[in-house]
Amino acid sequence: MRRTAIVLLAIVLGLVFAGSVIAQEEKVLIVGLSEDYHSLDPSRAYEPGGSLIHHSVYQTLVTFPPDSVSEILPGLAESWEISGDGLVYTFALREEAAFSTGDPLTAEDVVFSFDRMKNLKDNPAFLADTIKSVEATGDLTVVMTLKQPDPSILAKLVFDAFSILNASEVRAHGGTAAEDAAETDTAEGWLMDNSAGTGPYTVESYEPTVRTVLVRNPNYWGATPYFDRIIIRNLPESATQKLALEAGDLHIAMDVTPDQVSSLKANPGIEVFSTQSDTLIFLLCNKDPETGGPVTNPLVQLAIRYAIDYEGFRFLSGEGANTPAAMVPLGFAGVLESSEGLSRDLDRARGLLAGAGYPDGFKVDLRYPDFNYIGTSFGVVAQKVQADLAEVGITVKLVPEEFQTSLAAYRAGEQGFSLWLWNPDYYDTLDYVEFLPEGVVGNRANWTDENADQEILDLRDAVKIETDPEKRNKLFREIQIYEQHHGPFVPLFQPGVHFAYSANLKGFYYNGQWRVDLTQLSF
Amino acid sequence: MPLHLYLIRRILLMIPLVFGISLMAFIVANTVPADPTAANLGERAAADPEIVAAFQRKWGLDQPIHIQYLTYLKNLLHGDLGTSIRSHRPITEELARYLPATVELATAGILVSLVAGVIFGVISAVWRNRPIDFVVRILSLIGVSAPVFWLALIGQLVLYRNLGLVPGPGRLDIVLTAPPTVTGLYVIDSILAGQWHILGSALAHLILPALVLGAFSMGLIARITRSSMLEVLSLDYITTARSKGLREHLVIIRHALRNALMPVVTVIGLAYGNLLSGAVLTETIFAWGGIGLYAYNAARTLDFPAIMGVSMLIAIVFITINLIVDMLYCWLDPRIRVD
Repeated sequence: MRRTAIVLLAIVLGLVFAGSVIAQEEKVLIVGLSEDYHSLDPSRAYEPGGSLIHHSVYQTLVTFPPDSVSEILPGLAESWEISGDGLVYTFALREEAAFSTGDPLTAEDVVFSFDRMKNLKDNPAFLADTIKSVEATGDLTVVMTLKQPDPSILAKLVFDAFSILNASEVRAHGGTAAEDAAETDTAEGWLMDNSAGTGPYTVESYEPTVRTVLVRNPNYWGATPYFDRIIIRNLPESATQKLALEAGDLHIAMDVTPDQVSSLKANPGIEVFSTQSDTLIFLLCNKDPETGGPVTNPLVQLAIRYAIDYEGFRFLSGEGANTPAAMVPLGFAGVLESSEGLSRDLDRARGLLAGAGYPDGFKVDLRYPDFNYIGTSFGVVAQKVQADLAEVGITVKLVPEEFQTSLAAYRAGEQGFSLWLWNPDYYDTLDYVEFLPEGVVGNRANWTDENADQEILDLRDAVKIETDPEKRNKLFREIQIYEQHHGPFVPLFQPGVHFAYSANLKGFYYNGQWRVDLTQLSF
Repeated sequence: MPLHLYLIRRILLMIPLVFGISLMAFIVANTVPADPTAANLGERAAADPEIVAAFQRKWGLDQPIHIQYLTYLKNLLHGDLGTSIRSHRPITEELARYLPATVELATAGILVSLVAGVIFGVISAVWRNRPIDFVVRILSLIGVSAPVFWLALIGQLVLYRNLGLVPGPGRLDIVLTAPPTVTGLYVIDSILAGQWHILGSALAHLILPALVLGAFSMGLIARITRSSMLEVLSLDYITTARSKGLREHLVIIRHALRNALMPVVTVIGLAYGNLLSGAVLTETIFAWGGIGLYAYNAARTLDFPAIMGVSMLIAIVFITINLIVDMLYCWLDPRIRVD
């Protein structure tokens, strides 16, 4: 009896060791990520985590450099021409490009991919709103016609949703680009465990909430990437990611929080990359008097902008954080520099409040989603707002709300004074006209064409169709200067974003669109 | 009443219970003051009335609430739990994918807590008020009161990162592929497939999460075993057993323990149900792709069909465990009659 127990124990221990020392011949990259995606169909892509995968598997007509979003580079299109009126884009595709099946890339694939994305009517479909038609005029020539000039269209085309898929393969698995694709397309299931792209890797398997495995595309038309296999594993806790990186079980931790940075930096085997995120954290003051109360008053809105301790917020947010000067985050073309922002001026704020008829201040509720986002606790930010505004006599009552509940009220424009964030939908400054009257966020503050000044309406309408880069940047600057003195929003800060990786990993570059290009990494 | 009739009656009683639970889960899920449309559509899509209308039509959210429930019931009768709004996959398929991971973890957790808890309880009762008793009582107190996420993080820090005694998060070493699915339990599937290195990895990965998950029940079982043992040890038949010269370990194991285990069985039943449903934190920290992580994601995105599916599943598991516990009583104590 006792002997049997000992033998059993020995077997179990033996198995445990056998399991942990399996020899590893191939070159494998292991990435830890809090999985935010639930589909690997690029035409439905919307979450930042999914970009890591889509960018390794699929390619787009045009692209960005590895470390910035400031320049449009050729992708699957080696060149393009834009008509004088800015409405017709003619792309010449690369002759050598081919899909993982070995099929050559054709203009038909581009037409299929664009039409399918638009007709699936999923989250990214709005990116195609300005596209009137896409046509193949030759084997390698695609003509895209717009409804109206859209100076941000090339930046939009870099987004994963405009990935080019192998039309015949996707069709063979239930895909369709027809107008009723939202109801009739059934290719999503197949695209979870397979892929149909031109990129350096293919999807080998996807186990939701566990891991996604990519394997090198044997038919890749470009330079062969270093790793044979990439495993992206779901580690929802950033504390777990840190431990696994320190233990050597992970090569990259994608969700490092600001409080982990110093201890990771002390480790010689680990590199930390910190930069400002593209997330803009801001206050919203509703323009509708019924909802907003005192914060509806433009003088009060300006007083709040002068009462905020911007430097303090940057410090509070930790390493990598930065202060935007208006409602465009640093890093975008035409943005005002941080140094051009408003500085705290309490006397001026008090004077403005007195001018607005509130010499003794007032009481107001601050509604916010009670959650953490990339290491920023909204509760802590709200407390700082409360403390800052108390100095000019505004008594802020904090009203934390469950995230989904708060989101619904915010989107319905029912919040009078609230704290929110905005992430870019695509990497062009035009995304920030959403903070102007009748924009997505403008509407949530009930800032409409009726209650807005003609000045900002003219600027908004002009910048939407201006294609000349210099004139655009000038218009964007004017809009931001306007936003500093008028309007219902108060920019607070851009939190830092942090990644940690093995010190022996080479080729790590950050870019807001896909964050890290896994295909360029090596030991 | 014969046992099998009793069993049939209990199983029939489960049907109204399951419907009652489905109604309650449906009401609770629908009274949350949040909008699944906002939760599942992106910023821009949610601002487009056409996309919002199509979304609501697709998921039946444009129907009155009682119609939604009746539709749900109708589908339920056909064994169809609906499709996940989040992943567009059938809920039954998803539950089947995630449940085995949790069952494996909860079973390992309950085994750890049962073995350790009973041993600790017996030691504690036999050596009552001796130093070993205090040590065991403190351990069980820690088990009962320490927050599970704290135990998990400290366990990972010490045993995984600093000492390297246990492997990292997940159900298998990251480079390994899961064994061919038969039961979904990696320990069993790897044996069936003869993949011994996978079995080793699966067992090693179970150690720490099972200890953490089992800590609470371990503490509970140790305390209950102790008090129950103390009560039994003072009874006349134990004195009789001792006086007829039976060796002490036989007195304790054969005579006292069996009778002392009755209340423990109740606790195990409840604890097992709790482990299944309460694995959310453990599964998040250990990146364990089970039903806890699934429930968390479903709640976060207001994925109604998934929330309903998880609620129904956990309810059924609880009811079934209760039934099994009642059956165990009869087996353990022939004095209990099923009528």
